[in-house]
Amino acid sequence: MSEGKIRVLLAKKRIDVHGRGSKLIARELRDAGMEVIYYRFGTAEEIATVALQEDVDVVGVSIMTSGHLRLAEKLIPALKKNGMNEVLVVMGGVIPEADFERLEKTGVHKVFPPGLPGEQVAEYIKSRVGRATLN
Amino acid sequence: MMDEAKLKQARASWEKLREKYLAKLKPQKNLSGIPIKTVYSPEDVAGIDLATLPGVYPFARGLYADGYALTPWMQQMVFGFGTIEETRKKMETLVAQGMEGYFGNKVFNVVYDIPTMYGIDADHPEAEDNVGQCGVHLCTSEDYDELIRGWELETTNFSLITGENCLPGLAHIVAAAERRGKNPDSLRGNSMNWYPRIAVQDIPSWEPKHGYALMAELIKYCTKNIPAWNTTNIFMYGISEAGATPVQELAYGLSWGKSVIDAGKKAGLEPDSFVGRLGFQIGIQMNFFEEIAKLRAHRKMWAQVTRDAGCTRPQCMHARVHIHTSGNVLVAQQPLNNTARITMQIMAAVLGGVQSIHSCSYDETIGIPTEVSHRTALRSQQIMMWESGLRQVADPLGGSYYVEWLTNEMEQEAWKLFRELEEHGGYMKGLEGGWVKGRIDASAYATKRAIKGGELPVVGVNKYVMNEKEEYEPFRVDYEIERKAVERLRAFKNKRSPSEVKTALAGLRTACLALREGKGELMPALIEAARKGATNGEMMAPMREAFGWEVTE
Repeated sequence: MSEGKIRVLLAKKRIDVHGRGSKLIARELRDAGMEVIYYRFGTAEEIATVALQEDVDVVGVSIMTSGHLRLAEKLIPALKKNGMNEVLVVMGGVIPEADFERLEKTGVHKVFPPGLPGEQVAEYIKSRVGRATLN
Repeated sequence: MMDEAKLKQARASWEKLREKYLAKLKPQKNLSGIPIKTVYSPEDVAGIDLATLPGVYPFARGLYADGYALTPWMQQMVFGFGTIEETRKKMETLVAQGMEGYFGNKVFNVVYDIPTMYGIDADHPEAEDNVGQCGVHLCTSEDYDELIRGWELETTNFSLITGENCLPGLAHIVAAAERRGKNPDSLRGNSMNWYPRIAVQDIPSWEPKHGYALMAELIKYCTKNIPAWNTTNIFMYGISEAGATPVQELAYGLSWGKSVIDAGKKAGLEPDSFVGRLGFQIGIQMNFFEEIAKLRAHRKMWAQVTRDAGCTRPQCMHARVHIHTSGNVLVAQQPLNNTARITMQIMAAVLGGVQSIHSCSYDETIGIPTEVSHRTALRSQQIMMWESGLRQVADPLGGSYYVEWLTNEMEQEAWKLFRELEEHGGYMKGLEGGWVKGRIDASAYATKRAIKGGELPVVGVNKYVMNEKEEYEPFRVDYEIERKAVERLRAFKNKRSPSEVKTALAGLRTACLALREGKGELMPALIEAARKGATNGEMMAPMREAFGWEVTE
């Protein structure tokens, strides 16, 4: 991790709807002193490209309208391909808890349920950033 | 009429009763921040005009003279997933489960998947993982033929929950009706035509001035060709779900409605010719009486807005309301608890006198609803409809000191915000500069802080928390659907005449560029493209080029 603020890429699909949750998390992470780049993506590869360009410490993906499992399956290899083996990857939104384990097996470090106070997400990020590896 | 001496005496006794603990009573307010007392009495409604009845202007007590006596509200459950094959089966299931509109007519409130909404077909790279997931993928004329197959058009209501593709969607259903030998005016249903939701929903859409022009184009086409079609959904639910308080929802929703009337008038339409086909979709949050008062105030305010705009026919002053119970207030923790929230919301809607209801499913915070949760949501409405007696009396809370006072209070507070926005330049101006969004986002943030701080109790979240894992299994749409949708699309494209499609799309492009300059009509070119087999995505491509396309936050 570079000196200074933790840099977070918060990604939401361009054609996704209802930005309330993701925008609140963006604001709460900023409140917690992080730099948040809010990005509307088209494909998983685009997230990986922007993550590299922006040299972020954390990639967060917000999901409203499903597709989380398949997205994670593409995102993790795409990040690794870009050499980002130490980036912390988190997901949140309307994701069934029954899928949390599967997502974590795919390589996502942590999945958060909807409506969670941003402080909890911030705390997790602070405790893990710079110490994560993508397997 | 009232015995004032007796009331004075009662008040003296009442004050004595509470002396001992008065200092302990904490101030309370509703979700809109309006201070609420513990008791209301005749003095609170002294200045309010209660000499009115349901069905009579300004309609605070309801649109119809006898409420639900002639027919109950419409049960308009949102549904749709997979390809049209899966959704057709679901339509038939819902009919079998008794989902009905007015006088037993069929109503289909069909939600499209998000690729269709934003105009990309199943074979587009960005559609990947979203095809048929949170709605049905409808992109070809065959899909639309199947959507309307066998249903009697004159008595079936097709409410098409499109996104920005509402004009192509309408063109497709018109072309499908034609293929059945029917004129467009045999169609019944609803276009969303809700461009102004860009102010609150963080979605890709047109540049504002073009968005309004497209909205007016759809209204113009329907006014002339499908007079019974409901052209526009003023999406107050979206405002509410983005975080607005109920008073903000009222104020900004009515200002949005006014902006639609203004756009129609600017396009040369007489208010009486089109305003009666605008409708509202409103949310129901968790403060029961506040929501009822909101609905009563809403009817009264819209009656005034439409009359001020030049409407003279009572039908044009009717605020016809479809309720979508709030999805945002449902929580992922202990999901079955949501049935209590949904039940209360349906009750508020019915007591508020609305025309149509979608009730959410208890598992929506986890994923796509299951068959059981969706059916239970429908059955909850049907229990209210047939077992509760809730609909025996029109506006049963009319005359309640509290509800009448609160209705008036909500109205006055909403007018303040309405006027503030109008003075700022109106709704369109308010969406262009982020004025509306900024205010709603601030409310969303305040609500989240209040939940975190415990001032706003939410069972399972900040009260009665259980740290057990919820292994709830939601409904899964097989990703095979995506392959199937792509195959259907390919097979369809192979059957078309490429030259005819090309010509029709060239005509569409020309019409788009003309409308961009404020000339000509777009709907005929879209319908021609639909007739020749252009897909939803192919129709949206030239529209995006002509009318701009941006994602706002």
